[in-house]
Amino acid sequence: MKKLLTIISALIIISVSSISVFAAGLNSSEQSVLSNMRAPANMKGNSVYVPASYINQAETYFNTIDMTSDQASRINGIIGEGRAFLEGTGKASINELSAAQKQKLLNYASAAAGVLKMSAAVGSDTNEAKIISKSGDTVMDESGNIIKATGAEAYIIPLVLISVLIGVFVLSSVGLIKGKRL
Amino acid sequence: MKKLKSKSLKTIKKFTLYPLLLCVLMLLSLLAVSAPFIGNAVSVAGMFMSDKQVDYSKAYDNIFVPTDKDSETVSAEDVEFPGIGKQFGELSVSGTNVDAKLFFGDGKVPLRNGVGIYAGSFIPGYGRTILVAGHNNTFFNGLKNVSKGDVVKISTSYGNYKYTVTGTKLTTDEDKSAYDLNSKKENLILYTCYPFDSIGLTNKRFFVYAEKTSGPTITGLYE
Repeated sequence: MKKLLTIISALIIISVSSISVFAAGLNSSEQSVLSNMRAPANMKGNSVYVPASYINQAETYFNTIDMTSDQASRINGIIGEGRAFLEGTGKASINELSAAQKQKLLNYASAAAGVLKMSAAVGSDTNEAKIISKSGDTVMDESGNIIKATGAEAYIIPLVLISVLIGVFVLSSVGLIKGKRL
Repeated sequence: MKKLKSKSLKTIKKFTLYPLLLCVLMLLSLLAVSAPFIGNAVSVAGMFMSDKQVDYSKAYDNIFVPTDKDSETVSAEDVEFPGIGKQFGELSVSGTNVDAKLFFGDGKVPLRNGVGIYAGSFIPGYGRTILVAGHNNTFFNGLKNVSKGDVVKISTSYGNYKYTVTGTKLTTDEDKSAYDLNSKKENLILYTCYPFDSIGLTNKRFFVYAEKTSGPTITGLYE
């Protein structure tokens, strides 16, 4: 009997550990937040939208969590406040906002992220702005442009310049550039 | 006396200063040429030679496990959505020597170690835009040989995908018409800096466009 129980327990453990089910898919709470993010703010007659890149990153992250209706309702409330703030500034675009107004807008974003226990950080090695989840994973990574610099890395350029300068100096010193020889 | 001094100065220059400068020049040139591979070489050497505890804080996670699954769909519950900076697959292009690790996210660490999907786009099978960046002097240098009809293969832990190249475009990094992050159709875009063998920063980008021809569609995304 003992052996049988041991075998059954082992089988249960193996079957449970071999199936990986992830918190995937977007539940109704997550979908409501995404819909709210997609809705425009009316700034002096102009419809201003959250960039698709931000909404897409949020959508990918929401596929990894299970947002509760309470969290969704709090986030939607903050988004609504942010939208009302934008519309009340009397400006026609986000670029026209003052530094203080932009900071306030950022505070709304931070508060919304805070509902999911996330925090903003800047990487010490890369200087890239990131939003980090409570488990330490990077959730949003906005290092500036969508299309990145994909050439040789920047430190190579000074190396090449120094090499060229030394080369020119040596050649001119030995007289090759002027057509003379030592 | 002055003539003698000038002559000895010239001799010193000829036999010490110039050789030294040439050595420095050669070392710098060697460093510049081998720069893309230094990081990897140091990492590999470190595995054998270092007696210090390895610092993994700047390394990346790898969640890629090759699979032979060949289904038309895969449930969202069976897909581990990769966090930013994680390797979750491999990418290769037929007719070229492009064969690289595939990361989610296109920051410095992913692009030093392979090619990376912009986090504001999506993973294969999601049915949206997949925007992949790679350096022109390393992993995407082979894109210079790509042509229409070539096949881009992407392997992930949840399925294997094939995309057929439909065309290429040379434009600038500010050309927003080069990609559409709102597209509801699965489309793969690879890009790198142009010219391919240039050293230095450029605003020119070479884009490769491909359409999905096979691979599982992720289902159950919207409950």
